[in-house]
Amino acid sequence: MLTSAIISGIGLGSMYGLIALGFHITYVVSNTVNFAQGSAMMLGAVLGYTFGVRYGWPMPLAMLAALAVCALFGLVVERILVRPFVARGSNAWLMATVAAGIVLDNAVMFTFGKEPRGFPSDWAAQPIRLFGAGVYPLQLVIPLVGIGIAGVMHLLLRHTRRGKTLLAVVQNPDAARLMGINVHRTIAISFMVSTALAGLAGLLIAPLFSVSSEMGTLFGIKAFAVAILGGMGSAWGVVIAGLAYGLIEALVTSFLGSVYTQIVVFSVVILALALKPNGLFGHAAINKV
Amino acid sequence: MGLIAKLRAYAMPATVLLLTVVAALYAARAEGYVPFVLAMVALTCIVGVGLNVLVGLTGQISLGHVGFYAIGAYTVAILTLKGLSFWLALPLAGLIAGAIGLLLSLPALRVSGPYLAMITIAFAFIVQHLTIEWRGVTGGSNGLMGLPAPVLAGKLFTEREMALLAIGLAGASTYLFHRLAGSAWGKAMVAVRDAEVAARSIGLNPVSVKAAAFVLSAALAGIAGGIFAALIAFVAPDSFPFSQSILFLFACVVGGAGWVLGPVVGAAITVVLPELLSQLAEYRLLFFGLLLLVVLWLAPEGILGTLARWMRRIDPRPAEPGDVAGFLAAASDKGALEVGGIGISFGGIRAASQVSFTAEPGKVTSVIGPNGAGKTTVLNMIGGFYKPDAGSIRLGGQELAGAPAWKVARAGIGRTYQTTKLFETMSVRDNVLIAMRRGRLGSMLAFAANAADEAAAEALIDFVGYRGPIATAAGDLPHVDRRLVEIARALAMRPRVLLLDEPAAGLMAADKDALSGLLRRIADLGIAVILVEHDMRLVMGISDHVVVLDAGTPIAAGTANVIRRDPKVLAAYLGGAEMRARGRDVPWDGSRDAVLDVIDLVAGYGAAPVLQKVNLQVRPGEMVALIGANGAGKSTMMRALSGLLRPVQGDVILNDERIEAIEAHRIAARGLALVPEGRQVFAELSVYDNLELGANTRSNVDYAAEIEAVLTRFPRLRERLDSRAGLLSGGEQQMLAIARGMMAKPRILLLDEPSLGLAPAMINELYDVLADLRDEGITILLVDQIAVLALAVADRGYVIDSGTIVRDDSAAALASDPDVEAAYLGHAEAAQ
Amino acid sequence: MTFASHVSRRLLLAAGAASLALIGVGPASAEDTMKVGLVAAMSGQSAKSGEAIVRGLSLALDEINAKGGVLGKKLELVVRDDESNPAKGVIAARELVQREKVVAYFGGIDTPVSMAIVPFANQSKVPFIGVWAAGTKITRNDAPENYVFRVSAVDALVDIALVDYAIKKYGAKKPGMILINNPWGESNEAGLKSALDAKKMTAAGIEKFEGGDVDIVPQLTRLKDAGADALFMVANVAPSAQVVKSLDRMGWNVPVVSHWGPAGGRFTELAGPSAEKVHFIQTFSFSGNSNPKATAVFEALKKKYPEIKSAADVTPAVGIANAYDAMHLTALAIAKAGSTEGPKIREGFYQIGSYDGLIKTYSKPFTPDNHDALSPSDYLFTYFKGAEILPLTN
Repeated sequence: MLTSAIISGIGLGSMYGLIALGFHITYVVSNTVNFAQGSAMMLGAVLGYTFGVRYGWPMPLAMLAALAVCALFGLVVERILVRPFVARGSNAWLMATVAAGIVLDNAVMFTFGKEPRGFPSDWAAQPIRLFGAGVYPLQLVIPLVGIGIAGVMHLLLRHTRRGKTLLAVVQNPDAARLMGINVHRTIAISFMVSTALAGLAGLLIAPLFSVSSEMGTLFGIKAFAVAILGGMGSAWGVVIAGLAYGLIEALVTSFLGSVYTQIVVFSVVILALALKPNGLFGHAAINKV
Repeated sequence: MGLIAKLRAYAMPATVLLLTVVAALYAARAEGYVPFVLAMVALTCIVGVGLNVLVGLTGQISLGHVGFYAIGAYTVAILTLKGLSFWLALPLAGLIAGAIGLLLSLPALRVSGPYLAMITIAFAFIVQHLTIEWRGVTGGSNGLMGLPAPVLAGKLFTEREMALLAIGLAGASTYLFHRLAGSAWGKAMVAVRDAEVAARSIGLNPVSVKAAAFVLSAALAGIAGGIFAALIAFVAPDSFPFSQSILFLFACVVGGAGWVLGPVVGAAITVVLPELLSQLAEYRLLFFGLLLLVVLWLAPEGILGTLARWMRRIDPRPAEPGDVAGFLAAASDKGALEVGGIGISFGGIRAASQVSFTAEPGKVTSVIGPNGAGKTTVLNMIGGFYKPDAGSIRLGGQELAGAPAWKVARAGIGRTYQTTKLFETMSVRDNVLIAMRRGRLGSMLAFAANAADEAAAEALIDFVGYRGPIATAAGDLPHVDRRLVEIARALAMRPRVLLLDEPAAGLMAADKDALSGLLRRIADLGIAVILVEHDMRLVMGISDHVVVLDAGTPIAAGTANVIRRDPKVLAAYLGGAEMRARGRDVPWDGSRDAVLDVIDLVAGYGAAPVLQKVNLQVRPGEMVALIGANGAGKSTMMRALSGLLRPVQGDVILNDERIEAIEAHRIAARGLALVPEGRQVFAELSVYDNLELGANTRSNVDYAAEIEAVLTRFPRLRERLDSRAGLLSGGEQQMLAIARGMMAKPRILLLDEPSLGLAPAMINELYDVLADLRDEGITILLVDQIAVLALAVADRGYVIDSGTIVRDDSAAALASDPDVEAAYLGHAEAAQ
Repeated sequence: MTFASHVSRRLLLAAGAASLALIGVGPASAEDTMKVGLVAAMSGQSAKSGEAIVRGLSLALDEINAKGGVLGKKLELVVRDDESNPAKGVIAARELVQREKVVAYFGGIDTPVSMAIVPFANQSKVPFIGVWAAGTKITRNDAPENYVFRVSAVDALVDIALVDYAIKKYGAKKPGMILINNPWGESNEAGLKSALDAKKMTAAGIEKFEGGDVDIVPQLTRLKDAGADALFMVANVAPSAQVVKSLDRMGWNVPVVSHWGPAGGRFTELAGPSAEKVHFIQTFSFSGNSNPKATAVFEALKKKYPEIKSAADVTPAVGIANAYDAMHLTALAIAKAGSTEGPKIREGFYQIGSYDGLIKTYSKPFTPDNHDALSPSDYLFTYFKGAEILPLTN
């Protein structure tokens, strides 16, 4: 039971981590987050299905096209739902991105259909045995992708010059502009990366789950919890928090019973933040008096 | 108070009453489901008012209020089903929700922003799952049904009576918010939101202020939930979906957070709009979402906030003078502040150790020393922001070492900050009035100030020398006035000790003289003044006692005259002599083709331009100084040239290319580097990363060699290369900012106030570097408040006054001009 | 694409209606129509159910109106979205009754929404007809004058049938339950427990899962470790598919006896080949149905909704069938009453004699003691063969 719980937990947790990386990237660049992130994940899965299954495009092309549209959605969100509010010093972007999620979910419901559809994949057809528990190969791919992307993002942000320009933008936008950094473009790109990551998560999860217009809501909330738990500021932190979250979910369900899962998990989130107000892997910003 | 002012005071209660009566009459007469919809508007309004306390006053966001709403609803459902009267169950619903709000505030108040949003979301989910799983009590997923209708005086409540009850409570809670916002509690909430650190230093305990807001907010949501349960006569977990939390928040935000009537407007929109759209059936949510976006777009500050922006006007009345001595005398029982052997370490590094001095009432005690010597650290220990590892801090016998800031403040220690920390959205008068409470906030419904308080506040504002309108929002004040108002605010606490952290930074000579006089007058009122300051003329002029720190330890103490001659002080701090700057050995004579040519530049922030047709040229290899009084437009000029301020009119030509219309990052790429005022280093990045970013506009950079070259020029940075830039001292940050600018290998380097906040020795070091850069042929445009130094190092100078260039001559000619000297070179005698 | 153009046309209509609504002009309501309402989930997770109900009602309504309507008036359907939220459902019900003046109205998939409407329905004396939500207490609400009728299954009765089936077919001795964590799951938890009690049996375990759960292995492992020899499954089609996929991964080949959730969509597409092993209860299925009425209705559906091409596109069939029969029965009740007054229509329901419906031929479907038109004898067990639902003969 323990093995299967751990495998389940890692599989789930890396999905949460992948979407949470999207929250991380916009937050470190612009101090804002896109609350329509769950909807972006849904968009990735729905478009992958539409292009790949309904229109019969080759799957790699369908996935690329889906990710491109997701990135475009991120661009639109940043341009018309975040930037105008941030420019006026208002934090109404929070409500605006939430509303964008509602609109997108409903718009997809009327175009894609109200019925959940199955996303066929060879990687999620035949389970393989691993330490006595069955897993689909795709379930092993997801953690690798999640950790891989976190690694790339970490290296990019902390160890490359281009990445450091991203970090500079959030710390001091004016000074960043003086360094020749196009702040608007940088933020827009971070939103595009963020929604593309969510879309990728959607594409990866779809064969394990089903594709429907409301599939993103719960994932979006859990991924946000993961991003916060990890501390928003660190790519590794976010992925590790994702794994921890998935493991807690699976272990609580296995050993205490499903009745307690959500109550325990959300209590853990509150408790963790009470003890570490900047998340498990975040650190307080320098704040000189 | 005049008649109009009196009428204005009654305008809001009258409006609330009118709206309540109209809604009640409508509910009492309308047929069909209208009373029901009105009841829902009223309930949303009550929750909205609760959120308004949280969001509008304390600036906290909650996405979990549906949790409190559900708790209220279930409380009423469970208790009334057990036979308890609704009229007892309803207040209990409020109490229980409030108590749980208090419990939640313990973790919630430790975090902010998205972290707080998450805690509240998690809370809402926990409540939802508990209502599902705690089946014996809550009835599980299928909920509790058949709640008895409330009965009052034998009358059974139908939805019409419930609507009247809800409307009445909505009116009452809106009025309650009006009173709260006007009370000391309300002002304290805003103060904590605007500047939490400063709020602590006027004796406010942010934890209790924020917790109070949280509890009040939760209780209102609980009461609304209780009425909701009785209205629907059925509760189930699905009636309290997470999306409802968002709608509640929307009701608060869309009407205008912080405005009394905001939730009324917001509730009407969030409840009535979906009803109007109900014919759309399945398309309703889609259109509702789109309409939400449209409303947010049109009115990002909420409908009332946006309306108010159009109609805003400010009462121009300045403060009336009054009896300050009498006001301050009331609290002063003359006890000295005795600091004995305090010390503190951060991460193994001793920031201060064995610091001892006594600040006598009526005396000015100055603490000076190089940047990074630990002066502000000592102030922070005295002020209660840092807990000293050792030593004692006694005021009139009371031990204060280690006490939290708000307790220290209440004990009689007021302070100001290096970068002023005012309550930006509050008026000048309210900034002073809230400090006058010394943390004792009184009733939530009583007005914040009586006539005597207001007179005293005005007297203080007048006493410090602020002559502008007292209704101006602090955020709109110019720099000098911010300093003055901050001092007035500290005095409003009737402090026995006043801590001032570099109050003269950024002030011109004349303002410094005025400040000097003010500090003396404050001391003469019997207050112990402790001053941390770099301006030696100011320090030496007014100090009764001077303590010199270096590397965290006192190296000398005594009167100004003793300190002035102490060789240790000269070596560590004053740099061996007074301020100096090295001129060019041979007068500059280079190409006349300007690198930077500014023609008829007009720029500003609002309606009236700050710069009016400015003309200026900088030639290759030349160093040009721009001097002028505070507010003359020097920094505006720098921002306009670098592209940070847009749009501007006129022509700016950089290397034969027009740049007045292009953005800052493109200007930087064309070879103009600005070292901005206040350093603006990337605080969370390492020194090395900051330097690397400096060369961001260039390609093919040999980073190793160039950074090595920069480190040779700024050796102080070498040992700090891997530490976060934000942890550097002010002087080191300034060096880093210049080094970062150098990394761009710019065609022209703009320096905005490089000496701001630096110790004299550091300023000398800085000007040596500037002279070197000049001698190496770098083109520089320099703005500095210490005009005498700027002119000493520069080749040419421009004098700017009220946004226009009034003189343009060689630097030497300007420096020796008696008119210029009188107006701008107040430091001449100090710099001999 | 015809589907896209269909959607955009409807969106356009909706936009027009929205602008009208905003300036306070409702669509003109002619004197010669009679309104019936629907309060159902039209958006969100259960949107598909709302769509199915609207299709069933509209089809029946078209037939009735083609024959001249009821009492000489054409029927008009007014649809409201309850967002699966009981509070919104109550507001919508009030609006339909008090503003739109509907003569009767139908309910959707969510038991709590229907439960919340029940007291208002009895108090306002306008008949409320459930066509999906199976919560037992909806019709058995102990009101002295009960205005709530139902043409759908009843959880308590379904659960007895499920338990019987598991024992008879699989010889189950220690069955486990895997239930969706929502009111429907909870209602069946109670029903299954008492059905097992009646057989002097206890469940090996009761596990819940969320609609959004991807991996249900932890819950199923608990049931397996507790020694479950069969599973009762209660969940909508997509979560049911997650259960089947998780069973597959575990390699646990256990009999699954399910409520009608899998019939709500493309179960085999979602769950893979193992889906065919699940046996589930049904009140109606178009495929393998020899009833000529079923064929006729299916043809009419294809004509009215061009996106329907095969039986696999008609999901969930129960929603359509229940709604279709409920509409006809209601029209009959109004005709019997000879009036649009609620109390008379209520009496009208009791006076319905025989009606040749889609699900069956009803004979005195409602009496003052029985407000449920369907009974356990109408339940049948079915399974998926590819995309088709086929009856099981035992």
